[in-house]
Amino acid sequence: MGPTKVMLNLSLPRALDFIKANQNPDGGWGYRPGGDSLVEPTGLCALALSSGRDKTADGRGLDFLKACLKDSGAVGIHPKDPEGNWMAYAALLAFHAFGAASEERRLRDWILSFEDAAGLFSPTDIKAIATAYRFDASIRGWPWTANTSGWVEPTALFIIALSRAGVPATEKRIKSGVDLILDRKVPSGGWNFGNPYSKSYELDASVMSTALALAALGAAGVPESRPAVGEGIRFLTRSLAGDTSTASLAWVLLALNCYPAGAALAPKVSARLAGLQAADGSFRQNLFETALAYLVLSEAAIFVRAPGKGR
Amino acid sequence: MTKKPMTRREVIRVLGTSVLSALPATALAGARQQLVKGTASGPLLQVALVPCPDYGPENLATAIRAGWRSSRPPDVRGKRVVIKPNIADFSAERPIHTDPRLVESLILQLKKLEAREIILAEGPPHNRDTEWLFRKSGFEALANRQSVPLVDLNYDDISPVKCVNPRATLLKELYLPRTILSADVIISVAKMKTHRHAGITLSLKNMFGILPGMKYGWPKNILHWNGIPLSICEINGTLKTHFSIIDGVVGMEGYGPLLGTARKAGVLVMGDNALAVDATAARVMGIDPARVEYLAMAHKIKLGSLRREDIAVAGEKIEKVRADFVLDPEYSFLRAPKG
Repeated sequence: MGPTKVMLNLSLPRALDFIKANQNPDGGWGYRPGGDSLVEPTGLCALALSSGRDKTADGRGLDFLKACLKDSGAVGIHPKDPEGNWMAYAALLAFHAFGAASEERRLRDWILSFEDAAGLFSPTDIKAIATAYRFDASIRGWPWTANTSGWVEPTALFIIALSRAGVPATEKRIKSGVDLILDRKVPSGGWNFGNPYSKSYELDASVMSTALALAALGAAGVPESRPAVGEGIRFLTRSLAGDTSTASLAWVLLALNCYPAGAALAPKVSARLAGLQAADGSFRQNLFETALAYLVLSEAAIFVRAPGKGR
Repeated sequence: MTKKPMTRREVIRVLGTSVLSALPATALAGARQQLVKGTASGPLLQVALVPCPDYGPENLATAIRAGWRSSRPPDVRGKRVVIKPNIADFSAERPIHTDPRLVESLILQLKKLEAREIILAEGPPHNRDTEWLFRKSGFEALANRQSVPLVDLNYDDISPVKCVNPRATLLKELYLPRTILSADVIISVAKMKTHRHAGITLSLKNMFGILPGMKYGWPKNILHWNGIPLSICEINGTLKTHFSIIDGVVGMEGYGPLLGTARKAGVLVMGDNALAVDATAARVMGIDPARVEYLAMAHKIKLGSLRREDIAVAGEKIEKVRADFVLDPEYSFLRAPKG
């Protein structure tokens, strides 16, 4: 039986207490208490506090994120990172939620210009990759870090954040990112980090990659009628019978809420995720996971505009 | 843009992974960490090759003790020791990761030797779901049983370290986890496996796992763009592994490191020089280490030696335990002649 609204309401505020108690003096958060402040946990912790209406702590978090914004508009993992990278997705979500319009626009433009290595491959390269890995390396997605290949998860994270920031699904990078995700689907259903095959071997899908891919497709308005979506939901359904991590459960909940076929499963996943909260309010003493779990359990719409649910 | 097409192997390495790079002998002229000076008299490196028929606790303890005695182990008393296993991924059917029972036996040995602190640390390369991976592979339970921390290096605090290679391009600075940088002793406990992009993966290649995913991604693709051999040499030239243990009780042959099949070699290979340990393990696998590009490069830049005459092997004779691992056809050229 799923947790009642009352149960969730009683326990969830303790997540915010844990987050508030572990904010660093520089305004940011690390993955673990006392760890260096980093963009991904800071973005999500600030969002969580914001949704909990704490305007002091979340404002300091926003200041930390603003300090990470470079002249180029890029955001890396922390203020001293010389390059932009995948963590920029969390900063974009926060800038949008906080109404930091100037920072949001600069970062959004940088993300839209943040290229993977697709343009570096010649037609011969692309053919060789298609033979060995059975995907189309000419499709542009997003990399984890500059000048490297595009992969499913960073592509998904950027699609989620850009969509939430109001970039339409018709924008060419989002369209291409959706194409990359669809192209990298594992034939038996779901996604992994981004290689459906290695030579003649089909590689296994993973829960986290599949959940992120589905959430991105949902954010971009790809309908449930697309076979890849249905297969992905069925993969998640099968996988939920087994061991699943905290972060994966949270991303699964987000993904399921994007599609009617998944929404029926959502209450059970909510209950399972809520049951992982520790007495100190945290999820695994991990600030990113605590914020993520809080957000998806309380208001997933902060991430994704689910079809038919409005913004 | 105009570009020269890559060879098929180059393209394949970049994607799953890499571009081959030729590293000049002087490229790591400043390699102070792992550099081994040659001498004119006799073998300068020592490696223990000990039989271990299975993962039973008594056999493992006996093998670890024997290997420790007959190699040149680090002094761990009062030290902070970080153990780096290989937990590349998990499969219930295939032996992808270092067996936790071996690591447990090592922990017990380190406790006996009065190590001050023991930490397990790994940054898995593909699968970002480390909580799941640590649990499924048995390392979470091991850490709890032995009351040692289990650190996900992919999300550890990091500090930049200047790469030892003055000609480094993509890896001018290596962002390394502070768990690793603050260790007094680093012990690499790798799995004996074939590798679809590197030929084989042993102790030197295992150190890819210390680079944090949050900075380098999943897979750590920039290491592939940099060239796998060069990346291995730059990482191991910059950071010393104090002791290496290869889990060859059951390794992986064929299309490793994830999709191959189990192959029993029934040995542990141990020593203080990772290159010498890897070269010896390669010989056990029926592979000529000089034909493995990254081992040849590591030898060239003096991270140790792969030459038989430079390595004193204590314990079993290599020929006695040699178990020719099946090679992917692309790597059939690695096979060492018999005799």
